[in-house]
Formats: sequence, C-alpha cells, structure tokens
Amino acid sequence: MASGAGEWSAEQIDDYETLISTTDVELLKRAWRNEKASPEILPFEEALVKRAKEQIQLMEETVDDFAESGHDPLIASLYQMDLDRAQFLLRSYLRVRLQKIEKFMFHIWKMDTYRNRLSIEEEKFTERCIRDIGKYLEETVLSKLPDNYQSVLKQSIISEEDDMVPEPQLDTFVVAKCERATRPLYLDGSRQSASFDSRDDHFQMVPGDLCILRYRPFQEELMSGNISLV
Amino acid sequence: MHGRKAYQLVKEFAGSEKGHLKIFNDELLERVAEECNEHRNALQSLIRKMQEEGLEVQTARNADHYGALVHHLSLIRNKRCLMAYVYNRAEIIRDLAWKVGLLHELPCEIKEKFSDSEEQYFKDHSKSLKMYMSQLSLDVNVDMVPPKDPYIKVRVLEDLGSGIILSDKSANFASHSMHFLKRTDAEQYIARGLMEELIS
Repeated sequence: MASGAGEWSAEQIDDYETLISTTDVELLKRAWRNEKASPEILPFEEALVKRAKEQIQLMEETVDDFAESGHDPLIASLYQMDLDRAQFLLRSYLRVRLQKIEKFMFHIWKMDTYRNRLSIEEEKFTERCIRDIGKYLEETVLSKLPDNYQSVLKQSIISEEDDMVPEPQLDTFVVAKCERATRPLYLDGSRQSASFDSRDDHFQMVPGDLCILRYRPFQEELMSGNISLV
Repeated sequence: MHGRKAYQLVKEFAGSEKGHLKIFNDELLERVAEECNEHRNALQSLIRKMQEEGLEVQTARNADHYGALVHHLSLIRNKRCLMAYVYNRAEIIRDLAWKVGLLHELPCEIKEKFSDSEEQYFKDHSKSLKMYMSQLSLDVNVDMVPPKDPYIKVRVLEDLGSGIILSDKSANFASHSMHFLKRTDAEQYIARGLMEELIS
C-alpha cells in the first residue's frame, strides 16, 4: 500500500508538471501574440523566457536520449516536433522584440517607460544599434549639413522637441480577446466617472469575447492581462 | 527649384522594388548637401542684411525675414529627404543583416550597391545581432517560419561539395541533388539561395 501511495504521488507530480508545462507554453504563446500584434514594445517576460529556455533544454536532452537509446523513432520525432514548435515560439518572440527595437530605437531609448521594458541583453543591443546608426547617418549625411542642422533627433537646432524620431503608431487598431471579465470600458478609454450613467457608449467584455479596438485606450487592460491580442 | 533634387533622391528609393536596393546615389546626395549649404549661406546673408539695417531679427517681419524662413524650411526639407533616403536604406540593410549577415559575407551583387559607410553599418549591425545572440546563447535568426515538420526536402542549387557536416549527417551536396534534411540545418542554406525547399 505504501509503495502504491508513493506511485500515486509520483504520478500526481507528473500531472502537475505537465500542467505547468502546458500553461507555460500557453503563456509564451500569449506573450508572443501580444508582442506581435501590439504596435509598441511590451514588458519583457523575463521569468517566462527563463523557464521556457530551461524546458527547451530539458526537452532537447529527452530527444537526445531517445535518439541514443534507439527508442521508437516515431515518438522521438513527435518530441522533436514539439521541441521545434517551442523553439520557434521563443525565437520568434525574441525576434519580434528585436525588430521593434530596431525600428523605434531612439524612441525607446529616450523614454524610461520603454527602456525599463527591455531585458539586459536587449538594452545592450539597443545601445549598440543607436551607436551604429548614429555613426552611419553622421558619416553619410549629417556631417555634410550646416552646423545647426546636424542632430539625429532634431530637424534643426531651433526645434524644441525631438522631431525626427520614429514613434510607434499607438492609435492603430488591434483585435483583442477577453481573458478575464473587464470593468466597463469606453471606446475612447476614459475612466468610469460621475457621468457614468449618462453615457451609453460603454461596454463590458466577458471571457472569449473578440473586439476590434483602438490600441491606445486599452494598453492598461492588456498590461493587466484582462485582454490579449490576436 | 528648392527641394527638387532631394525629392528626386527620395523618389528614386521609392521607385525601386520593395526590399531591393539600387546603387547608392552618392552624386545626387552630395548635390543635395551642397544645396543645403547654399541655403545656409543665403539664410545667413539675409540675417546679416537685417542686422545691418538695424532690425530685430527675432521680431522683424519684412521680406527678408520670410526669405530667410523659406531658406530655413527648404533646408529642413532637404535634410528630411536625405535622412529618409539613408534611413530607409538602413532598414533594408538591417533586414539583410538578419538574413545573411550573421553567417556569411554578402554576395557581391548586393555589396556593390552599398556605399562604404553602408557596408560598415551592415557589418556593425550584424555584430550587434551576433552579440545579442551569444549573450543569450540562442540563435534567433533560424526558425523564420513556423515549423510544420522537422524535416524538409531540399534541392541543392549550387555545388556545395561534401565538406559540410550537418548536425546529424554529412552528405555530398552536389548541384541539383535532393536531400531530406533537418529544417534547422537547411534554413541557412536556403536563405543564401544555395538550396531551395521542395514543396510537395
């Protein structure tokens, strides 16, 4: 009986582990979809990426074991396929982020909110990117222009703001899926207020709902995980 | 006419096929830059003239002020055009860095379209990407398309010989031979146009 109970708990642990692994894959998938669909860079899922990397490594070992032991090749190739998919997800996630960084590096670098969303490696990458493109633009164009017009960020010295920095278009539309029931939302993003009753353009999303929304007003909902992007 | 050359430069870029580069138009770029300096000189002489006439440059609103303003705006417009030309080319260069820069030298057909600093930028950016990947110890430039099957069928387009050892086997990759390879192994050769995927 005692040994029977032991087996049970081992199985339970197995169950638990598979549960955890499936949720992690789901989480990564969601993070990847969000990142792909959102116009701006989102906070880096550091813990999730770390776990995903560990699990991928574990999977690689399992696949290697299968290959060595000459186990059923079909099972091995199924594991391999699963592994490939997980790796694609992780790589694509990191890739999408890097491409966003390439596109909006100056913007990300000067805004602390965005900068804090980067991983350490991404931060280094951004720094190098800015240095490289700065050097390149300097050599090709800026050094040939008159003194007051040589800034990378400003059109001329009299511009008060940085008016030559590409920024993400936050007012674009995204397809959002509801994960958790939300508070009443307004299409223009304004918070619930005293005039709540008098306005009839609010709506509430329940899990599974799909809506096409403007991105900017719903950033917070996305960050809090109430909605995800598709 | 003000800004026409700069416009030609941008138009030249916009006219080329998407994702493809034309030969870097150094000559036109230099001419636009010259034009910028001419504008600056004209601008300064107008301001000097106003000063000599004893006018307050900041507040005076005479013909010279608006003349200077037109020069200033033309200059800015030229700058934007120049930057747009160069920056958009940089985007294509970065894209190339992703596709080929991490593994290999660029093919000369592409290389001859670069200016010297563009080539340097290509190298620098490839290095940055490489550094990111080595810090993470993960290659992010493979697996560009979602995987369907771990193995794919490929045809070799250029003779690669038998020197290449892939992760699980080595074979003679003679031109036109067909192989069944791991997708991750084959991808880098497909990206360089040395193999093609056979889709059944």
